[in-house]
Amino acid sequence: MSKHRLLALFSDFEEAHAAIADIRRNVVPGVTVDDVTMKSPIEHPDVEEVLGERPVHIQKFTLFGAIFGVTFGFLFLAGAQATFLVQPQGGKAVIPLPSNFVLMYEMLIFFAVWLTFFSFLFLSGLFKKRSALYSEKVSLDQVAIMLELNEAHTDPIKDLFQKHKVLEIREEVIK
Amino acid sequence: MSLDNILNNWSDYRKGAEEGGHHDYEHRWTMAINLDVCIGCNACSVACYAENNLAVVGKERFEKGQAMHWMRIERYWDQAADMEHPEQGASFLPMLCQQCGAATCEPVCPVAATYHTPDGLNAQVYNRCIGSRYCSNNCPFRVRYFNFYSYYESAWPSPMEQQLNPDISVRDKGVMEKCTFCVQRIRTVKDRAKMEDRSVVDGEAMTACAQACPTSAIVFGDTMDESSAVSQLWKKHQVKRGTYQSTRGEKANPNLRGYRIFEELNVDPSIMYLERVREDV
Amino acid sequence: MTMATEKDINEQIAWAKINTDVLRSMENPRPAYWVTVAVCVAMISVAVFAEYIQYTEGMGYANLNNPHMWDLYIASFVFWIGMSHSGTLLSAILHLMHSDWRKPIYRFAEAMTTFSLLTAGLFPIIHLGRVWNMYWVLPYVSDRGHWPNFRSPLAWDAFAISTYLSASMLFLFIGMIPDLAICRDHGKGWRKKLYTVLALGWEGNDRQWRHFRKTYLLMACFLIPLAVSVHSIVSADFAMAIMPGWHVTSFPPYFVAGALYSGCAAIITLFVLLRYFFRFEDYMTLPIMEKTAKLTFAIAMVWTYLNLVEFASIWYGHNVYDKELLIAKATGAYAPIFWSMIFLGSVLPFTLAFRSLRRHMPTMFVVSILLNVGMFFERWMIVAPTLSLSQEPHQWDVMWGSVVEWGIVFGSFGWFGLLFLIFVKVFPSVSMYEVKEMVFHRQRSAGEEDLIRMTDHTQPATETAGGEESK
Repeated sequence: MSKHRLLALFSDFEEAHAAIADIRRNVVPGVTVDDVTMKSPIEHPDVEEVLGERPVHIQKFTLFGAIFGVTFGFLFLAGAQATFLVQPQGGKAVIPLPSNFVLMYEMLIFFAVWLTFFSFLFLSGLFKKRSALYSEKVSLDQVAIMLELNEAHTDPIKDLFQKHKVLEIREEVIK
Repeated sequence: MSLDNILNNWSDYRKGAEEGGHHDYEHRWTMAINLDVCIGCNACSVACYAENNLAVVGKERFEKGQAMHWMRIERYWDQAADMEHPEQGASFLPMLCQQCGAATCEPVCPVAATYHTPDGLNAQVYNRCIGSRYCSNNCPFRVRYFNFYSYYESAWPSPMEQQLNPDISVRDKGVMEKCTFCVQRIRTVKDRAKMEDRSVVDGEAMTACAQACPTSAIVFGDTMDESSAVSQLWKKHQVKRGTYQSTRGEKANPNLRGYRIFEELNVDPSIMYLERVREDV
Repeated sequence: MTMATEKDINEQIAWAKINTDVLRSMENPRPAYWVTVAVCVAMISVAVFAEYIQYTEGMGYANLNNPHMWDLYIASFVFWIGMSHSGTLLSAILHLMHSDWRKPIYRFAEAMTTFSLLTAGLFPIIHLGRVWNMYWVLPYVSDRGHWPNFRSPLAWDAFAISTYLSASMLFLFIGMIPDLAICRDHGKGWRKKLYTVLALGWEGNDRQWRHFRKTYLLMACFLIPLAVSVHSIVSADFAMAIMPGWHVTSFPPYFVAGALYSGCAAIITLFVLLRYFFRFEDYMTLPIMEKTAKLTFAIAMVWTYLNLVEFASIWYGHNVYDKELLIAKATGAYAPIFWSMIFLGSVLPFTLAFRSLRRHMPTMFVVSILLNVGMFFERWMIVAPTLSLSQEPHQWDVMWGSVVEWGIVFGSFGWFGLLFLIFVKVFPSVSMYEVKEMVFHRQRSAGEEDLIRMTDHTQPATETAGGEESK
């Protein structure tokens, strides 16, 4: 049996929402909501809810970056000061805590922000070749449901989509 | 390695000026300037120009405030109002780098081009200076001078470059410079003393300004040496190093004329001035 | 109230029209756009010539002298850093507060942040005596074991600016990725190639949106404390010194307020310009302008208050240096500049209190520029008078900048303008996907409001309008 990939385009967000909800309720046996990818032109936290719990781990990297920034910051500054700036200046201590705190604060944010960015790049599935089914309408005003399924299930799913006023269904055979 | 360094020397590295600072001083070069005998002749300033390769900038740039006189004679007319002969009312104040113990110019340099030496001097590293000029802005005495142009190109027309002091450099545009207490002379004296295996004798090290002063208004020496002339003067006038709070106090005896300029700013200057004795007192 | 009936944006606008309008703006601006670009290039060439003289001959050509080691260069540095504050800070704060009226205007405001930071970053470099050694301020590993002096507020500046520049550029870039995908899908030629690379393969799937939302929120959370700390550190350049007029405890909040103030004024200026250049009347609407103007007015009053706090604490403190300096500012050689600053900064903003003036674009354009002139004077009056009248009376002096100095300051506006104009031509200056979100949520909550009104007459239909939450 071959694997198929479907892309259904909807102009009405509520209908797309309802279609995913139907898949979630196992209206078509053998197709689960985990196979569904939703594409939309705007952020849809409420529509995404129906897809179920899909975790995001970026905040862990951010936390790591922040902790790293602040500890590395102190060790780096104190190390540099202890090896080079052994000259006293202005009667201040060789390792002055107030100015180090100011810089540690900046380094905390610096590392946290960059780690957030890089974890976003690598965790959010960017840099992939877009499939042939990609529709430019998604960047305009239509919401798309993409799912991978066995050939046997394609027809009932198409019927389901039709019921929810789908505009267009594109299909490709993966293997 | 440096982590070990930090952990082992933590208490040392956390010592500020109030706790005696990080370094054990080798010398504490200090000055006493007696304003009562200063006649404002500018010989000190001229001597400084000759000794330290200071550029002569010309009339126009001098007027714009771009001169390089590390040692300047400040002239005030504060007594002119109630005097019969106002032209006699001038008072003079030789102003040069005060080599502060807690210098405000030092911590603000972004590249650490200025620091406090174990000799108690406020050193300026020309090669490291990038010319941010923050040090000068944060100097309450305004005794730091900046090379606004490549002064050397016109300051010593040939053959005058022959009279430059070979012991120190000629500075190009873009670096800050200031009085060093003639550090090249101090260096020579320390080296000679070391070779002869003895300690530096009082009066051996002498700045150009102190040497040139016709009335000996400037006394230079090491306050670590209890018997030196400058130590005796500081002691006699009851001026002590340290912060304002620790040295403050009403002077009971009007004969005690010693004071340090802007003492209340807590910068711990190394120069004690002796007040002028006024005729109406 | 008239506000209730007037909408920030036409909720019935077709999404396709949003795409076309914004994409068209990148292709055919009004001719005034090209005139402005030419003016900016001319301004830059003045600065390049001035900098050439200063670089080869020395800093003396800027008329700097012994007490006045800093002057307009540092004032401009503070000015541009300040200008950079509103874009990102307001965008982040309004994002966290779910104020969706930010959506049509935040993109260019964030671009303004980035480019005014790039302009600000030039000034510490230009003002160095030995520009060619400027990298010594950065903590790089040197074979001689040299490090910058971490005690110096100037070294803090280097840290703070690089952190702020990278964070605000990332914030701008991340927020732009979905729009870059739109440009990629509709672009041709070199634009398509550029946007294909920059869109990073964005296709708007739920995984990307989820990560996007989290990333954007995290960045916004970090940007707010960062922006506050950056201008506090800039104020530390002065507040950490012992000079009268600089050593002021209230400087960090004063600088942050001043920064927000000039940034908001700049947003208004650019708002008017972009609205005209790109025919953005549907997006940069009058109600949004009114909100921005009200915000500016509020911040102007905060700034005025902090000014008064500073004067009052000088009066109470009775520190002779500070007091003499303040009196000299108000009565001495700098008095015209000082009183212009007070007038432009504290009196002129009252024009923003009038609804008819707030809605008159030419007035807003002129007023916002004058507000920024006032803020430039403020920075000037922070830097120069202190140097003129420090503790040491022998060195008292007044100094006016030379043609070289003013030329470089003048050119910096051209540099900023050129960068900004290139940006708005190459990238969408109105966030398309977020305007769509805005109309989508507003339309829906308006519908819900109607529904509530029809079904339940006891419940007042409020709260939902303008709210982005739709749980």
